[in-house]
Amino acid sequence: MIPSPIYTYPWAPTLERFLPAPYPVTGIRRETGDTVTLRLRPPEGRPPAFQPGQFNMLYLFGIGEVPISISGVHPRSGDLEHTVRAVGSVTRALARLRKGDVVGVRGPFGRGWPLEEAKGHDILILAGGIGLAPLRPALQHILAHRSEYEQVVLLYGARTPADLLYPAELERWRGRLDLQVLVTVDRGDEAWRGHIGVVTTLLPLAERLMDLRRAFILMCGPEVMMRVAARELEDRKVPPERIFLSLERNMKCAVGFCGHCQFGPVFICRDGPVFPLGRVRPLLEVREL
Amino acid sequence: MSKAAILEALRQHPFTHDMEEAWKEVLAEMARLQTYPPDALLLREGRAADAFFLIVDGLVAIEMFVPERGTLRLQTVSPGEVVGWSWALPPYRWEFDARALAETTAVVLDAAALRARMSQDCALAAWILSRLLAVVAGRLKATRLQLLDLYAPPERRTP
Amino acid sequence: MANPEAPIPVPNSVWRIEKARLQDLIDALRRQGYTVIGPCIREGAIVYDEIHQISDLPIGWTDEQDGGRYRLKRREDSSFFGYAVGPHSWKRFLHPPVLSLGQARRNGAGFEWIVPSDPPPRYAFLGVRACELHAITILDRVFMGGPYVDPTYQARREGIFLIAVQCAVAGGTCFCASMGTGPKAPPGADLILTELAEAFIVEIGTERGAALMAGIPRAPATEADRVAVEAQLAATARAMGRQMDTTDLPALLYRNLEHPRWEEVAQRCLTCGNCTMVCPTCFCFTVEDVSDLTGTRAERVRRWDSCFTTEFTYTAGRPIRQSAKARYRQWLTHKLASWWEQFGTSGCVGCGRCITWCPVGIDLTEEVAAIRRTDGATPEAERR
Repeated sequence: MIPSPIYTYPWAPTLERFLPAPYPVTGIRRETGDTVTLRLRPPEGRPPAFQPGQFNMLYLFGIGEVPISISGVHPRSGDLEHTVRAVGSVTRALARLRKGDVVGVRGPFGRGWPLEEAKGHDILILAGGIGLAPLRPALQHILAHRSEYEQVVLLYGARTPADLLYPAELERWRGRLDLQVLVTVDRGDEAWRGHIGVVTTLLPLAERLMDLRRAFILMCGPEVMMRVAARELEDRKVPPERIFLSLERNMKCAVGFCGHCQFGPVFICRDGPVFPLGRVRPLLEVREL
Repeated sequence: MSKAAILEALRQHPFTHDMEEAWKEVLAEMARLQTYPPDALLLREGRAADAFFLIVDGLVAIEMFVPERGTLRLQTVSPGEVVGWSWALPPYRWEFDARALAETTAVVLDAAALRARMSQDCALAAWILSRLLAVVAGRLKATRLQLLDLYAPPERRTP
Repeated sequence: MANPEAPIPVPNSVWRIEKARLQDLIDALRRQGYTVIGPCIREGAIVYDEIHQISDLPIGWTDEQDGGRYRLKRREDSSFFGYAVGPHSWKRFLHPPVLSLGQARRNGAGFEWIVPSDPPPRYAFLGVRACELHAITILDRVFMGGPYVDPTYQARREGIFLIAVQCAVAGGTCFCASMGTGPKAPPGADLILTELAEAFIVEIGTERGAALMAGIPRAPATEADRVAVEAQLAATARAMGRQMDTTDLPALLYRNLEHPRWEEVAQRCLTCGNCTMVCPTCFCFTVEDVSDLTGTRAERVRRWDSCFTTEFTYTAGRPIRQSAKARYRQWLTHKLASWWEQFGTSGCVGCGRCITWCPVGIDLTEEVAAIRRTDGATPEAERR
């Protein structure tokens, strides 16, 4: 039984809240060559409630902090899961952790996916690469409350078959009759007999499964992918207020003070990371914003 | 009877579904419904481009054989899409292979007959070529995005 | 003139005191436990530091400011506040340039935090200009007006005693008049001083200001005094060194994000970040975690940062804003456009520090004017 996240943790304005709390690593799963999923146990033994789409700041002693989306809740233990790709000094160190090591966590922060608003609608989830990580808790929530939603389709694109995240879960999802999963890779391998091409090439297939104009679209992936997908969805007359994307930027404080995560007028940490397309559409067109 | 099936397939397929009914009937005359078993080739590099494929069901891979690397799969084409445009321009020769990855059903149009018809009927030619242009544009756009290798790790990006 | 039996000061009442009585004000504040910060001269510039005596003030000095230029010059009189603003702003006391957030200490496999527990300093700011009062209000909104509150800022801000001074001198780079931020002081200060030839005119702003004035020898201000204050304010407003046309400014900048002027200013901009350091409203900071040599302690330090650095937008591999053009554009459009959406006001108070302290003298009033003149222009490469 997947525990369902319910409410946002209220943030107390004391200095301690700006400092990470120690969470032991209770499990590590290597997803791909450079990506792992960490399982972290909150010290009080009860997970701080979060909304799918929110993120925590993960801290390593003496090294630094990075924003990492919460990528799920472990079904049996209730531990928090974070999928980390090693691209910098902190994330490389996170990817090398062992069971028993301790990670500093503060959060959760940000605005999550509009799962309340989306009730009663078809849902299209469009994930590119590690973009599947912040969408996974949304899908977990939807599946845990399946009757509250209509048709659900997942379009997932990765670089190669070896880069597919959560392969066992993907298989389980594919096996469900109440969920359609379409997977594509940019480059296949000898064994791959599935779709090959960028994930936006799967949109015409999604169109055959649901009326996109009535659906909620949740997307996360490289910004180029989302920019292109947004245009293709607009061409298909999907209303921008039902298209949501998750953005990322450099963050230091995660509470809208340090200024690093600004994207035009919005603070990704506080006004996002999930945005309705209307809020950020013109910003996506400006280069080097 | 099978003509009726072909006509129905043309009515359903996104490439032709909003085509004039009269033209659909013309096309149905020069088409057949073909099912390819998994791994069967629809077309082969270097051969004469003598057919135009509307994919109804299944999955098709565009491939090329490269010495020392074997057969490389570049892209897949899904139901609702089309395979092949080399039939529409000289030298009417396939540049790649196309292989069914799963059991695949397609409406296969006789390219020679279609070309002949198009040379007589400019309106039909314009209609088909503009649709074909959209297909090529979409395929090229997708290919360019593939080239960007957006999921590549930072150190392997160029630049 | 000294008449301790004069009517009791209340908010909005106006008084006249001898200039030497400023020392009484400073002494009274210090007796109440305030650290009095005011202008003084250090290394050829007028900066803000702790003062004890009125002789610490730059009496008889003025400044000459222009793009990339700052010089102190002797005045012919003994004015206490006869200059504009220097490279310091009050933000360094409310939003410290370097701040330890705590120390992590290893604890088995984990760690625990030792949080600094020194009580926050109690400041009295002497000589806060109108533009600076606006800047403080702007920072109040940034750090205390949103869903989260910065405890450091809040602790230092609460209980601050503010003595404003209405400018008698408009600086060479000042443009508060066109920004609507001066030279008249907005409400919020405890006391508002205006310096005349032989006296200070003191307007009481708050009960706290009234309580402090109660012990200072004073006389009620006369009608002539009030007229002199108004005249001085008007003269200062007319003498501004720069001006900024703020008509529809956010919209102007938003529709000109690809204007060729950005590339032009980028050719000159060194991305040194001086402007962000001296700006009284720039608030960006970074957080660093530094462990000691033994690896058992790691300090978490917050320090001022600047959007002009290349690392500022470093995201998964490389900076988002790589070019100088993108970084200058970010700073200016944040200050003059996005700030409105974020905090409900402009981020600029017209103090002119960014113009004075830019090593190459980039003048944002000039940049805005240039864009306005050629609104809608497209870069060379995109034409034809």
